[in-house]
Amino acid sequence: MSIMNDLLARPGVVAAGEYAYRGDRFSYRGDLTEEYARMASIMCRATTMGMNMEGGMLEALQPRSGLHPPRGWIVHGPDHTVCVVANVFCMIDNAKGSINDVIRFMRVTVPHASIDLI
Amino acid sequence: MATLDALMQLPGAMAAFEFRGSGELLEHRIAYPDRLNDSILDLLAHMCAANMSIATMQARGWERMTSMKGFYPVKAFTLVGFDWSVVVSGLHREQYKQDGKFSLPPFMGVVMSNETANYEAAFAALENQEPTP
Repeated sequence: MSIMNDLLARPGVVAAGEYAYRGDRFSYRGDLTEEYARMASIMCRATTMGMNMEGGMLEALQPRSGLHPPRGWIVHGPDHTVCVVANVFCMIDNAKGSINDVIRFMRVTVPHASIDLI
Repeated sequence: MATLDALMQLPGAMAAFEFRGSGELLEHRIAYPDRLNDSILDLLAHMCAANMSIATMQARGWERMTSMKGFYPVKAFTLVGFDWSVVVSGLHREQYKQDGKFSLPPFMGVVMSNETANYEAAFAALENQEPTP
């Protein structure tokens, strides 16, 4: 809960959430309904899982490339941006928030997940 | 429209590349050939093409199923790796499509070191706009 509250306190962050890697739980704060948060958790989890699979392929091709293990991903839209690090996601209003600031905060604050969890 | 040489001027830039929507690597620049090569850039380009398509599908579906707007069209997709990040954009392709052009320009991407990465500057460079202060 603390990380979500910390994210929501940052300028431009409109919602934040956290999901279990095994897919059976999620929690959220901010401007989302329960159903939207559930959908967002499923989409973020699916993309994170795919990203880890892809990182494994890159690692097999070139060990210690700097891309593996993945920490997260960003989808930058015209007005909103989704930032995900490990199993935490947030949505940012581009006009009000700093993506650099949020990603820097998430990289430092969100613990790196053990590969066994993913 | 951004050029590969302009992308290589971004803070922490390690490589810049162009790729087709199908993922095939086209032109590229590599600052550290001992750490990156065209083989890994080719796989990366295929991954980025796939992830751009998935992100676009999700943004489209999200906007249709919720009342939330401003996610579509996806302007850029970023993979945040352990030490490096990759930012790719196909924004200019959208503009070409809206102008009714059939021959679309390639996607463009840049690999940056996380320590000095400036994601907003990368988005602006790929979209060929000045970064917001």
